[in-house]
Amino acid sequence: MKNAIEIKGLTKIFGELKAVDNVTLSIKEGELFGFLGPNGSGKTTTVKMLTGQIKPTKGNATILGKDILRSPIEIREIVGIMPEQENPPSFLTAEEYLHFVAKIRKLDNIKEKSDYWFEFLDFENQKNVLCKDLSRGTRQKLMFAQTFLHNPKLVFIDEPLINLDPIIQKKVKDYLQNFVKSGRTIFFCTHVLEIAEEICTNIGIIYNGKLIFKGPMKDLKRRGQHLEDFFLKLVKEA
Amino acid sequence: MFEILMSMIKEEWRIHSTIFSGMKFFLFPFVISLFVFLVSLLFSIFSSIITFNQIALLIHYLFVLFGLSVGAFGLLGREIMNRRFEQASMIAYSSRTLPLSEKRILLNFFIKDIIYYFLLWILPVVVGFAIASPIISVNLNYSFILLTTLTLSFLIGLSISFFLSTIYVHSMKLLIGILSLTIISGVFTNRYFHTNVMELLPSITFFFNPSMNLIIASLAIVVILSSFSIFFFKVDYAEKKRMFKNHFNVLSNIFRFNKYSIFIAKDILDMNRSGGGMGKILFSLLFPLIIIWLMLSIFLKLLPTTNTLIMFSIFLGVMSSSIYNWLTEFDLFTAYSFLPIKTSEVIKGKLNTYVLLNIISLIILIVVALVTSILNYLLPSIASFIMVSFYSLAVTVYLTGLHPNILLYDAKILLAYVLLISPVLLALIFLSVLNPFYLLMSPLLMVLSICLIKKSFKKWDDWEQQSF
Repeated sequence: MKNAIEIKGLTKIFGELKAVDNVTLSIKEGELFGFLGPNGSGKTTTVKMLTGQIKPTKGNATILGKDILRSPIEIREIVGIMPEQENPPSFLTAEEYLHFVAKIRKLDNIKEKSDYWFEFLDFENQKNVLCKDLSRGTRQKLMFAQTFLHNPKLVFIDEPLINLDPIIQKKVKDYLQNFVKSGRTIFFCTHVLEIAEEICTNIGIIYNGKLIFKGPMKDLKRRGQHLEDFFLKLVKEA
Repeated sequence: MFEILMSMIKEEWRIHSTIFSGMKFFLFPFVISLFVFLVSLLFSIFSSIITFNQIALLIHYLFVLFGLSVGAFGLLGREIMNRRFEQASMIAYSSRTLPLSEKRILLNFFIKDIIYYFLLWILPVVVGFAIASPIISVNLNYSFILLTTLTLSFLIGLSISFFLSTIYVHSMKLLIGILSLTIISGVFTNRYFHTNVMELLPSITFFFNPSMNLIIASLAIVVILSSFSIFFFKVDYAEKKRMFKNHFNVLSNIFRFNKYSIFIAKDILDMNRSGGGMGKILFSLLFPLIIIWLMLSIFLKLLPTTNTLIMFSIFLGVMSSSIYNWLTEFDLFTAYSFLPIKTSEVIKGKLNTYVLLNIISLIILIVVALVTSILNYLLPSIASFIMVSFYSLAVTVYLTGLHPNILLYDAKILLAYVLLISPVLLALIFLSVLNPFYLLMSPLLMVLSICLIKKSFKKWDDWEQQSF
């Protein structure tokens, strides 16, 4: 398997704060990579650098063979990104928003694609509602749909399950697992360790901007170690 | 009680100082005093054009309007705050999460508005006037009267705003009914009792003829309206889920000849569906334009060599560029940053929408020329309007990118804006005095505007997105 993501010495400094500190990491195609860390540890900043939304202070990375410094737009064309905090624009309806994203991505069969997601995530009855009037959970479904709308080979998803009900959570988890089985890759940021333990194939733990662990989940499971205990021990030692 | 009040005052201060560049906001009341002082020195020039009574009426109604806007924004501005600061959670909306009743919160909110805006606006205005009083030979007693009457005018505006907001959260139909009834009674009184309704405001009547009865009347209006609001206001009123058919596809199809059709479609939907619809843009453009036209008609009597329509077209150009500010009001770039588009693409989209909307301003100019029968200088007026509007827009885009509503309040950026715009305006005015037809050369400004816009694209693509 080729590397989907290759990161070398990635660093981001904001003023006096080293938000990401010399992170080096490679993620193979077909991995569901859990990027774990407490709040403010540098997860979102790393994703923003990897997807060309902000420039690294030092270091570089390639995403599906494309350089993050030279080809940020091309990277965002081929990957899907689900940010944690962003909301869809207020005054478009849910359906209009998906069509807006589809047109930016120059997709065909827009209606069929968007209808598939409304049905899959069970919010067809909300598709004509203005985004600003949608519940938090429904907005999250919409952001999830826009991430996968163009059937990308690699996605970056930040806390995608947090506001979803258990039925949709199960559906989404199954979808993510099938997604990687087809050879595609997921970079999954979370601090919900139970979910990471359940679905991730590999994990990386970031703390105070430093990558303090990387390895396959099955190793932990083989040792009979729970991710929560392992995570807390590592963070304490760091 | 006192803690809530102090927290609300701190909150108001922090909101303003966040928007208006930190501690520089501290200087704001001093700037107001200085401005009023300087304007007051021109009093003798004004008095030869506009009467003292007219000035007094204008100032008092400005404070009524100010009170109205302060109250409306405070109570119903949650949507705007959330767009700007993402998840704004103000004390005024905290009755659901804190053990505080809505009545108590609203009472504190009302008192906070009075104290805060008295110190921030009313007092500095009166201090500026008071300092100028000996120089312009106005009795200092007027300053004390002015302090009372401007405060009363502000309070009347504020309590009307609270009253109408309270009606609004209970019933939109009732609000429309009350407003219609007020307008009809005003017209009726004006017509059949030959009374100028504008002069019935007790605070203004008190200014001309001080009496205890008028103070009591003013305070009665304030107490009755605000008490009604405190007893009946609901902070958490049910907002309807608004539903629409897919108009985005229809609009982007209509504008398919334009490369940025999807952004134009989105901008049009944003404007139509946000509070006030397209009317708010028209109003925010027309209202200052009416004032500018009136001021120009008065002041150009002093400069008879200058043509009113030409001057109006130049000011219209600057005002018209504010349409761009509206277009950037609805979402932050972070809503696009994870999609495969550059900042410059979004700006180009907004510029294309702006070009379409600028037709409104052009129509206004032509209508003004037709109504006032100043047709001989229509061509140079159109040329100067188009060029000034694009130049002002280019300067706005260069200095503020997609954030004019935030960055233009930064003192440094505002100064740069003024320094880049004013020489061009003065040059055009100077040319128009020499010969209005020299303004037909103003398309040369387009070269400068295009260079500036191109530089802006690079500047904002390289700029790292921050949240505000």
